Amino acid sequence: MTLLDIKGVSKRFGGLMALSDVSLQVNKGEIFGLMGANGAGKTTLFSVIAGHIPPTTGEVVFDGKRLAGLSPDRICRLGLCRTFQIVRPFAGLSVAENLRVAALYGRARKLSATEAAQIVDDALDAVGLADRRHLDAGRLTLSGQKRLEIARALATGAQLVMLDEVMAGLNPTEVGTMLDTLRRLRTERDLTFVIVEHVIGALMTLSDRILVLDHGECIAFSTPEEIGRNERVAEVYFG
Amino acid sequence: MRLGSALWIALAGFGAAVPFFGSTYLMGVVFQVAMWIALAQSWSMLSATTGYLSLGHAVFYGVGAYVCVLLTGIIPFEFAILAAAGSAALFAALIGLPVLRVRGPYFVILTYGLSELVRHVVMRIESALGSFGRMIFDVPAQEVLLWWMVGLAVLATLGAYAIRHSRFGAGLAAIREDEVAAQTIGVPVTRLKLLAFIASAAIPGAVGGLALLRTSYFEPAQAFDPVISFTIVTMALVGGTDSVRGPILGAMGFALLSELLWSTLPQLYMIVLGLTLIVFVLFVPRGLSGLVGRIGGAR
Repeated sequence: MTLLDIKGVSKRFGGLMALSDVSLQVNKGEIFGLMGANGAGKTTLFSVIAGHIPPTTGEVVFDGKRLAGLSPDRICRLGLCRTFQIVRPFAGLSVAENLRVAALYGRARKLSATEAAQIVDDALDAVGLADRRHLDAGRLTLSGQKRLEIARALATGAQLVMLDEVMAGLNPTEVGTMLDTLRRLRTERDLTFVIVEHVIGALMTLSDRILVLDHGECIAFSTPEEIGRNERVAEVYFG
Repeated sequence: MRLGSALWIALAGFGAAVPFFGSTYLMGVVFQVAMWIALAQSWSMLSATTGYLSLGHAVFYGVGAYVCVLLTGIIPFEFAILAAAGSAALFAALIGLPVLRVRGPYFVILTYGLSELVRHVVMRIESALGSFGRMIFDVPAQEVLLWWMVGLAVLATLGAYAIRHSRFGAGLAAIREDEVAAQTIGVPVTRLKLLAFIASAAIPGAVGGLALLRTSYFEPAQAFDPVISFTIVTMALVGGTDSVRGPILGAMGFALLSELLWSTLPQLYMIVLGLTLIVFVLFVPRGLSGLVGRIGGAR
């Protein structure tokens, strides 16, 4: 079943075509990888889907609803939440308080205090931040802040979570932990992920399907094995 | 905290009881203290929660005073005060959306500029009408005005407390920390900011009306005096913005200090105001409230 349907999305910034005619469908329960060199348009695509910037043409349909004209908070309440490549914690609030805001305002709104606390606890456990719940979010390590980004998206009750380079800057052990976490979340919580990643190995092992962007255009769209054999992709990535 | 609450209730009770035993002078002081608590507390509903620092709250005070002077004699004063609060809130609702689009220093300057703009417009209107200040003759008794003002201070404090401990307050805190991130996790930032702006404008409108009735004289340059805005910000920052008791401590400290200075060294008042603000911003960022917390060993 298609959860996210991107139909011919283009985005022009002045003379620059950041995205041209990108179409893709993400199925429910899938981990969908998005690859591309710097400036390929990955983050722009995220921003268009999450409602931060409007597409020049094309449309985004999530769970049967058109997202055109909806603000990011409305889109989040429909069950689609993104994280940021450059982390944006609520630095002055505690880790738990960061998640509590997400629980109170996300998809499952109008919660009782106990229900919200339960959601916060679950999200903390899911990413392994339970022991740092009272720490100010700004004092977490980078790895901790990346996990906080994911936990906050989970706490909104999103069905589809878009992760923007959550593994960049992590050491190999941390990447391994993160891979386990994401796989577990998918099965335990019945989540769908769209993942942008520079750590290609991670993306290859995690994704069911991968789309490769280059200068705003889709140049390949297939399974990880075939992407690995694709000459055009190799050319873009390795020259 | 129980002890703290009891202390605040006793303080409000003392303020309300002053007419029965205090001098006219003491009633005047209590009226001033309650007024500044109400103003600083209202300001904190927007500015301490979201970090959008308003330097134009005099405009709500002035709008309230102006509406009240226009309605006094036409409707009972209680309704004039409510109308003053309602008009200030309505004014905030009208200007809120465009004003709240900018943040940081731009918001500070815009609110200040807007307040000055309204001040000059009202001055123009009044002088075009040939009026250089309006007298009010039929004002309520001083103790009635005092009770109203103490009531507003209590209301503002309860309101600020309720906001901070609610879902609404959690959303506002997220906006203060990172507006884009807040919106991404579902916080309707525009609506919340507007509601906070309206909430923080209503009580200052009523305060302006009451202050007008107390002096029984309306003069636009005074009613919209930017020094009111500066004083509110200074009191709130000196008191400390991260708790509800901060604005109370700041307002009490400053109102009492100004009473002392007015009677002895009036020309020093603004100098002391400025110096205190500088010292607190540089060396006591958490304000009097932070100091009290450290001494008491509480948070």
